[in-house]
Amino acid sequence: MYADMNNDPAVETEDGRLEPKLKRTGRMTLYVRRFMRRPSAVVGLVLLIVLAFFAIFGKYLTHWTYEELDFLSLGTPPDGDHLMGTTSGGSDLYAMVVRGLGRSMSIGILSSLATTVIAALVGTAIAFFEGWFEKVGMWLLDMLLVVPSFLLIAMIVRSASGTAGWLWLTLGLTAFGWIGYARTLRTLTMSLRELDYVRAAKFMGVGSLRIIVRHLIPNLGSVLIINTVLGVVSAISSETSLSFLGLGIKAPDTSLGTLLNEGQSVIVTAPWVIIFPSLVLIALTFSMQLIGDGLRDAIDPYSKSAGKAE
Amino acid sequence: MIKYILKRLANYVVMLFVAVSMTYFLASAFMNPRSNYMSRHPAPPEASINRSLDNANINDQTPVILRYLRWLKGVVTKWDWGLAPDQSPVGSAVATRISASVQLVTIGTILSIVIGVAIGVYTAIRQYKWQDRTLNAIATFFLVVPTAVLGLFVVFGAIWLNNATGTRLFYVTGLHSYGGSNPWGYVVDFLQHIILPTIVLTIPGVVGYHLTQRTYLLDTMNADYVRTARAKGLTLNQAIRKHALRTSLIPTCVNVAFSIAGVFTGAVITETVFAINGLGRYFVTTINNNDINGAVCIAAFGGACTLGGALLADIASAWLDPRIRLG
Amino acid sequence: MMFRKTGKDSGESSPRFRTIHATDGQSGNPVDRDAADGETVLQVRDLRVNFASEAGTVHAVRGVSFDLRRGQTLGIVGESGSGKSVTSMSIMGLLDSNAHVTGSIRFHGEELLSKTDAEMSRIRGDGIAMVFQDPLSALTPVFSIGEQMKEALVVHNPKMTADEVRRRSIELLALVGIPNAEERLKSYPHEFSGGMRQRVVIAMAIANNPDVIIADEPTTALDVTIQAQVLEVLQKAQEETGAALIFITHDLGVIAGNADDIIVMYAGAPVETAPVDNIFYEPVMPYTMGLLGACPRPDTGREDRLVPIPGSPTNLVDLPAGCPFSPRCPLAVDECRMSEPELEAVPGRPGQRAACHRTEYILDRKLTYRDVFHVGKAVPSILDDVPYDERRTVLDVHDLKKTFPLTGGGFLRRRIGTVHAVDDVSLEVREGETMALVGESGSGKSTTLLEIMDLKQPEGGTVELFGTPVVKGMPRAERRELHGLVQYVFQDPMSSLDPRLPVYDILAEPLKVARLSKEDINDRIGELMRLVELNPDQVDRFPTQFSGGQRQRIAIARALAVNPKLILLDEPVSALDVSIQAGVINLLEDLQNKLGVAYLLVAHNLSVIRHISTHVAVMYLGHIVESGETETVFRHPLHPYTQALLSAVPVPDPKVERSRHRIVLQGDLPSPVEEIPGCPFASRCPLRLTLPEDKRRLCDTVPPKLGHHDGWRQQVACHFVEESAVRYRAGIVQRSPVTARTEE
Repeated sequence: MYADMNNDPAVETEDGRLEPKLKRTGRMTLYVRRFMRRPSAVVGLVLLIVLAFFAIFGKYLTHWTYEELDFLSLGTPPDGDHLMGTTSGGSDLYAMVVRGLGRSMSIGILSSLATTVIAALVGTAIAFFEGWFEKVGMWLLDMLLVVPSFLLIAMIVRSASGTAGWLWLTLGLTAFGWIGYARTLRTLTMSLRELDYVRAAKFMGVGSLRIIVRHLIPNLGSVLIINTVLGVVSAISSETSLSFLGLGIKAPDTSLGTLLNEGQSVIVTAPWVIIFPSLVLIALTFSMQLIGDGLRDAIDPYSKSAGKAE
Repeated sequence: MIKYILKRLANYVVMLFVAVSMTYFLASAFMNPRSNYMSRHPAPPEASINRSLDNANINDQTPVILRYLRWLKGVVTKWDWGLAPDQSPVGSAVATRISASVQLVTIGTILSIVIGVAIGVYTAIRQYKWQDRTLNAIATFFLVVPTAVLGLFVVFGAIWLNNATGTRLFYVTGLHSYGGSNPWGYVVDFLQHIILPTIVLTIPGVVGYHLTQRTYLLDTMNADYVRTARAKGLTLNQAIRKHALRTSLIPTCVNVAFSIAGVFTGAVITETVFAINGLGRYFVTTINNNDINGAVCIAAFGGACTLGGALLADIASAWLDPRIRLG
Repeated sequence: MMFRKTGKDSGESSPRFRTIHATDGQSGNPVDRDAADGETVLQVRDLRVNFASEAGTVHAVRGVSFDLRRGQTLGIVGESGSGKSVTSMSIMGLLDSNAHVTGSIRFHGEELLSKTDAEMSRIRGDGIAMVFQDPLSALTPVFSIGEQMKEALVVHNPKMTADEVRRRSIELLALVGIPNAEERLKSYPHEFSGGMRQRVVIAMAIANNPDVIIADEPTTALDVTIQAQVLEVLQKAQEETGAALIFITHDLGVIAGNADDIIVMYAGAPVETAPVDNIFYEPVMPYTMGLLGACPRPDTGREDRLVPIPGSPTNLVDLPAGCPFSPRCPLAVDECRMSEPELEAVPGRPGQRAACHRTEYILDRKLTYRDVFHVGKAVPSILDDVPYDERRTVLDVHDLKKTFPLTGGGFLRRRIGTVHAVDDVSLEVREGETMALVGESGSGKSTTLLEIMDLKQPEGGTVELFGTPVVKGMPRAERRELHGLVQYVFQDPMSSLDPRLPVYDILAEPLKVARLSKEDINDRIGELMRLVELNPDQVDRFPTQFSGGQRQRIAIARALAVNPKLILLDEPVSALDVSIQAGVINLLEDLQNKLGVAYLLVAHNLSVIRHISTHVAVMYLGHIVESGETETVFRHPLHPYTQALLSAVPVPDPKVERSRHRIVLQGDLPSPVEEIPGCPFASRCPLRLTLPEDKRRLCDTVPPKLGHHDGWRQQVACHFVEESAVRYRAGIVQRSPVTARTEE
């Protein structure tokens, strides 16, 4: 797995001080190169960029807004005026999808980021402070996992409505989404703690904080990045599910899940109402998954795709 | 062994108690049953609202700790899980829905395990071959499709098929609709109902077991003991089947035990799409109706299932793995 | 390109040209030593194996040929990456599917390389059997020993009845020395120790009376006393079946005694093949010489400096043109760098072949490794003039204790006992000396090191560093000062250096802790790199760009950074190849002489210890059983355990090995949880067995104290030192060659 490192042309310049920086970008280029070598990862990245572009600038392609109702065309199929048709209530589906995509994306990304931060803090803290702190911490984590988190999120989110609803939803997804992840990170930190070079630093008298920042975080870093990306997928799925059940985003705001909920009743008469949001949703989660898988293979030195170079 | 299980059990009971209590307080804080009455036209008189709420022990004017103690007493002494805002007992409501959930979920779970593990083994043995890559791509696709979307497309397809054939091949709502007395007719009717939700439940399950079983088997396939088995004279496939597979099935069995927890609450979306009166759908109803006691009761049931699954997982791994097994 | 060229060459030459035992006499090489002894069972011709990898094609094996007769033992020696294991795996047909194998392997005249997996499976385990390196992972954890034995038998004898299988299994297990074979059939692998598991693997290998047994580093993962047992079992197994044995190892000592012929491999190709005595006493190829010179021997001490081979092993992806050893060979001339030499008969040495352009040159001048390789002079020690008693004590450990709670395996996390990892250990280390802790796995030697390095008040006993006792609530400043004075070097340089940091940052870390200024750090790093004989211009490289030996030098440089007075080393050379190890051992010695630093070193390899240490303490089950000056202990071991340990060390010298007598200890280390009221060694002690009943009772009930005994210079923890010494001198215990030779 190190073979490609060895093959890096190890240049010896007379200016030694400049070299480390140069080498570190070399590491980054290695990641980028490995990532780009996977066609699926590139497809995912392109897809995501297109979707993001669509979510931000898509609204300028139509004169309808997502709040506006066109009472002259209720439940009409796609045509020149309504690019994706209208809902039975007369909303322009295209404007709704653009808006919903933006909502779903922001909820997914925000809650995944927040989840990672909380999980990393709690997970590493529990692993670091051994003894009773660890015991109590683990018991609490287990306890929080007992009640299905979906239930609790629904409970919290249902009371919120209006434009702040999506923030509540993000909060709910975060509040109960970090627990399992924190457990994983704890296990990971514990194994890092036992690494020889971490112990070596400890034996040299390097302070705990310095060890965390210099040796542990860079090692956890790749895991955190990958899981944040993949966490977006699960956050979006949860959001969709809750909104679909009528427990998440509610009118006048909209999300892809809410649109699915609307489309459910008119599945036979106006199938486009579920087809378009579904396609966008699948494109979004699929792209994130492909990027996450690609990152895992690019960053994770233990990944199998690095090839057998023994 | 028995002593150990009892100890575990005691710990789990404490855990469940704390978790359910926490849920009770959360539910009381975030749910407002009073609004059910206030939104009626005309709104009933205040005293009448309070009477109803008091009767169900969900009046927000009573201190929550008092309500909690009263609720706890009811549960512990009489196994009484309280009343919904419409004064119907939640305990019996949950009990009646368990059967529907079990019917729905059992078949799906068994199919998921069998198909998923089979595909996992098949792809692991053919790592990086086209079969593996194709099935992996399909799995990744279904991994990210939200259940709601999957459900709606299955419904869509079924309706299209019904229309195309001109007969009612599939039912897209409920579990039973046969009124006759012919047992064969009953079975056929049940199958016509169950097949679509089963597909929706099975696909994500298959994907999960496929991907994990593939990883587990790949981990054990290169183990030294598989090489030893081949050195003894087993062919590669025999060695994998006998030695690697057996070891790699241990974590899968543990996963199966754990999955029992999700079985009863994990079908929310499917039940909603197919209008099946199971626990999941009931859970949505309780949330929408501000049914504090109902929600807590479901949470308790879900928690009990989780811990039951965890206990089962412990026992399963001890039973399957001689390294853990103890006298 | 390289591959194609040599491939063509060998195609032109007749295959027998490459064999060790040419069946028909060749010019200048008339009669093969013992060609008539047995029929040829295995014939390998021009075997080549390539792997595709991300970095390019790995040329793992490049043209191996040999013949194997019944009853013959062939040793294949090489360092990591020499292709020795790949060779054995291709004979078994167990290579990964990405391996590209060419050449010919014939078993009883049948070509194996063209066989399918199903066809090969009929030969594997029946005609050819294999014993692997790591016994801990070689058995399937979820099946009982009986089931796995049964499988080995039934797969080739489907008609065997259950009763026959059972009887044969018991017979086999008894043969390899597993007590209570009948009961143990029901046991699972994890209930066996490593040595016992290796016996089971051997039992399975000989189950169907194979014609060829391939043993790939079968004792490398085992402790030295267990190694002696397993070697004995292997020999017995070979005698029992009459099979030919291919013994693959990196350790010249292990095969010196029982191999008939040896193939030395380097960079995938055989560089010298010969009968065992020729290889050890008259090597021709410089690499073989270097390997012998670099190999520490248990019968030579500190004054005999090891001969390191310069450079690092060759990269198998980008092989240099010419002889792959030429970049490291002091005799290399232009010709060596241009074309790769063929394996050719050495004139006047029947059966010996070498792949070297300089063979004639070497033969003419009768060169030995001392002539070929540069043997550096040891640096004089700055403390040479200071008598031992006047040297400052840097470390004083008194009655150190450390226990671990033992919890049930994973599932039941209840405490089922206490492991006394370190029990009443006392040590004293003075400046400029090297104290070695030696013992087998589970002896508590590494735990002792970690306990000292923790700089926390120990569970029991005291630790005093430079006169300062390590106690609870020590002032922060004082502790930091101690951190500067005591440093640590880990076993595996691969894992002890953060792969994400360049060497500069790695070396700067301890200096930053010591709060040096930027300029000082910069200067010091340059100094350190020169000190450990590395190019200071390479500080911007990452650890992965260095070879194992260089990485260990970096780790040593890091330990030296803050001018410590004491360095604790945990198996500092055991992860390194022999040719590299010698350089690191010499470096450690030189550094000590230059800087006056003291070492406390843990190692399991007694030969290394004899070369590197001035004092030694032998540990068994958390206790020190014998300690004293290294020379004293090695020459006059008093404790029965030390005697057994020394007698078990293999010597890279066939004559010594053949004539020696090993004290093979019975049984395994007792379970660490066991409460032992008396002497911890009593259960395996050969001396105790010779004692009368009343004396035995003393061993069983009273733990002996470590102390001086009249007339002896070392300290021993044994109730019957006199008896042990008398027994040893009288030769009831035949003298181990280790001690015998140096006493002359």
